[in-house]
This record gives sequence, structure tokens and C-alpha cells, in this order.
Amino acid sequence: MNPQTPQSIAVSAELPEPRVGRRAVPVWIYIMLFLLLYWGMVYFDERGGWFNQQVYAPYRSIEQVNFYQPPSGGPDLTRGKAVYENICGLCHNNDGSGKPGQAPPLAGSDWAQGNANRMMRIPLAGLTGAVKVKDQEWNLAMPAMGAALSDEDLAAVLTYIRSSWGNKASEITPDQVKAVRTQVGNRTQPWTVEELNAIQ
Amino acid sequence: MNFGPLVFLAAFFAVAGSWCGFVLAPQLQVGHLQQDKVVGTGNPYPLARPGLAQQGLQVYRANGCASCHSQQIRQTGTVCDVLLTDAGTNHAALIAGLLQAKPSLTESDAKALVAKLPQPIVQGQTKEQADAAAKVLNAAGGKALVWIAPVGPDIARGWGQRRTVAEDFLYDYPVMPGSQRVGPDLANVGMRLPDANWHLLHLYAPQHAAKGSTMPPYRYLFDKRKIDAVASPDALVMPTDLMPPPGYEIVPKGEAKALVAYLLSLRADAPLFVSPFTAATPAPESTNAPASTATTNAPATNPK
Repeated sequence: MNPQTPQSIAVSAELPEPRVGRRAVPVWIYIMLFLLLYWGMVYFDERGGWFNQQVYAPYRSIEQVNFYQPPSGGPDLTRGKAVYENICGLCHNNDGSGKPGQAPPLAGSDWAQGNANRMMRIPLAGLTGAVKVKDQEWNLAMPAMGAALSDEDLAAVLTYIRSSWGNKASEITPDQVKAVRTQVGNRTQPWTVEELNAIQ
Repeated sequence: MNFGPLVFLAAFFAVAGSWCGFVLAPQLQVGHLQQDKVVGTGNPYPLARPGLAQQGLQVYRANGCASCHSQQIRQTGTVCDVLLTDAGTNHAALIAGLLQAKPSLTESDAKALVAKLPQPIVQGQTKEQADAAAKVLNAAGGKALVWIAPVGPDIARGWGQRRTVAEDFLYDYPVMPGSQRVGPDLANVGMRLPDANWHLLHLYAPQHAAKGSTMPPYRYLFDKRKIDAVASPDALVMPTDLMPPPGYEIVPKGEAKALVAYLLSLRADAPLFVSPFTAATPAPESTNAPASTATTNAPATNPK
């Protein structure tokens, strides 16, 4: 019998199985992809901050965060205030008015506003004996409260004292403190008023 | 052709890439965050919350406060003001400098400005413009300060001084940043409303403390007690129309006290490197001052 029966002819007349072939990708998909990539790059440039964890919106880069830091030039009164209230304020009072029997006032004092070279020496080694502050005699002993402070902290706190509560005197820089600290050396004996007055 | 492996690989890399970007990289970056230093003073920030406030965080969580209150201040930009703090000695040069730094100023205005220092000279500028203006004034013998102030709708509402950063939540577990703002943002509520009794009264009767508030009262955090011999020192100080019958007092439970301690510990007022601003030491009229509170539903000032 002929194998080509009408039945088998009907089977071969069916459509062939669909197969995966190759066809060129439409141009508009490429255009879309490039536009998407461009948008992504613009978005990253605006908000990515180059993946730096220290860059938050609205800043765009670590350079910009750096640029917007508050200026550090000039006297640092915030730091001085913090040191003052931690160390000096306990006896001299946070408003610089002093405490009877503990410490003379710094507000309006000629010692605080006068010669910086004398003033810097007081916290470095202390002060003992009679001292006249704002027309009043004081006879107390101040320990070397500032000897353990860094040059920067001591300069900040002295500048704060010299420019607060109505005081108006020049700024004291860390370099000045450093120079005086070398001159004082490892003196532990507190100063007396006579010794300080001899210093120019 | 069999594309099964290719499809699997593509899906795998798509998921793995997103996981690396959204989970792994943030964990590597801020998962081991350390205390930061406050710009200027160098003090560590943040400090751990006091024990009672840490318990308060759990009360905050248990009562679902985070479903209506966010703790995230947004910032849309940063502006700079130039502040003249000292006129120096050469007034003629300074006035010439002022006119150069701010051309809209007339000479008589400039003289009036110099007479009353410190004064903001230019406001709302970019850092470059402010730096240039400050340079002109400093060259003229004055002392000018560039004041850095974050801006944004939240900051204009008086909700904070700077944007919220990851450090603000360093010691919190779990972190409660919230996502909905049915009520006002609480990121700096301890700074805005520092009165503990106000907070207790607000929890007890929100509409009394803040007019128009939609917050439900949390009276189960309080006890109504009969006064024995002496009144409790913790008893709520209340307006007359809320007072319990004579002989009774309203005393906050431990949860209420812990919650209020937590709320009072919410304050992000330290300038950090990641979110710089000028801390308010010299306090002139500046754009940095908290704006009017018309848009908050909680009063910015203590209404007591």
C-alpha cells in the first residue's frame, strides 16, 4: 500500500512548528535605551553624591559639603564657651562675675583684658597671693587649671574670656599660647602679682 | 534554541544587583556608623539617650506614634547670609564696601546699618556670593561673618535647624523615622517644646494643649487617684475645666513619664560635618530664626 494515504497528506499540510529566528532590533528601542541611560546619568549626577555616605541631599558632592562648612577662621567662641563652662565657670561663674571667696570676676577685669602675655600665664601655672581686681582686694590661690588644656582649647577659652560679658580685648592665638607655654616650661609654682607685673 | 539558562541568569543578576545596591551597600556604609563630632566644639554627637528616654522609645513604638508622626526633617537647599559684626575703625571705607557689597543700599541706610551692629547685610545668597561680599567688607576693615542656614519647608515651619541624618538615630533601636505626617514632625520636639508638663497635658487632652489637633487622647497612660493625705508631686497641673472632682488627682503612669522623657530627648541641634549650618551663638535677626508657626498644629512656644 502506498504510504501516502490521504490522512498523512492532511498531517503534512499543517503549519510547521514555530521556531526562534533572528531579526533586527527596531531602531526606536535603541533610541529609548540611550534616552533612558542619559536620564539615569543626569539623575545620578544630581543625587548620587558619588555614593559617598557623607553626602546627603541637597548637596551634590563631598566637595560641596566641604565648601558649605562654617568658616573656621577667626576666634572660635563656641569652643571657648564650651571649655569655659566646663572648667573656669565653676569658680569664675558662667557669666564671668566671679564668686565671693572662690574667684574674682573676669567680666570687666583689667587682668582679663590687659596684657595677653600676663593673662596667658595665669591658667598655665596658677596665681596666688593678693591681687586687686576691679578695685577689690582678693587673696586666694588659683591652681594651674589650664596646664592640661591643648594650645587650641586654651587659646579659645582665653579669647572667649577677652571678648565676652562686655570685655573687649585682642584675640589670643594657639601660636601665642604655644610660645608662652615654652617660656613657662614646667614651672609648677603659682605666679604672684609682682612676678606677673614684671612681664611685658 | 533553549534560552532558559539565559533568562535565569538575567533574573538572578537583576535581583542580586538591586540587593547589593539597596541592602548591602547601605549596610556597609552606615551599618557601622560611629559617633560624629560637633563642628566647632568637637563634642561627640549623638549622646546615648538617658535610660528613661530609652524606655520611652518602646512606649512610642507600642502606641504607634510613628504611624502619624515622622522624625525626618527635609532640606531643599542651603543659603548664606553675611553678617557685619564689627565696623572697624575706618567708617568711610566700610561704607564704600557696604555699597559695593549691596548696591541697593543708599549711603544714609549704610550709615544707619553701621551704627547698630551686628546686622545682616545680604541674605539668602549662595556661598560664592556671600564669600565675595564678606571679602569686600573684611578688606574694608570690618568683621563680616558668613552665616550658613539650611532652608526647606520643614525648616520654615520651625521643625528643625538642619536635615535629619543617619547619626541622629545612632542609638535608637528600633529606628522610628515614621513615614506619615498626620501630626507634626517630631525630630526636634524636645527643642521646640521643652516643657514636660505641657507634653503630659497634651497626651492627656491633646485638643486642650494644641487647638485643632486630631490626636487621640492617651488617658490610659494616666491614673485618676484619690488624694490620700498629700497630693502627689507628679500630679498633672491642669486648666480648671479638665480638673478631676475635688479630692482626686491625675497622675502620669511610668509609661507617660518615659514617653515624655523620650520626646524631650528628641533634638538634633548640633551642626555636623554632613549637615553644616552656623550654630546660633551671635543671635541677630537672621533667616535662621525659626519662622512663624502658622503651619504647625502644635504651638512652637510654650503656651503655659
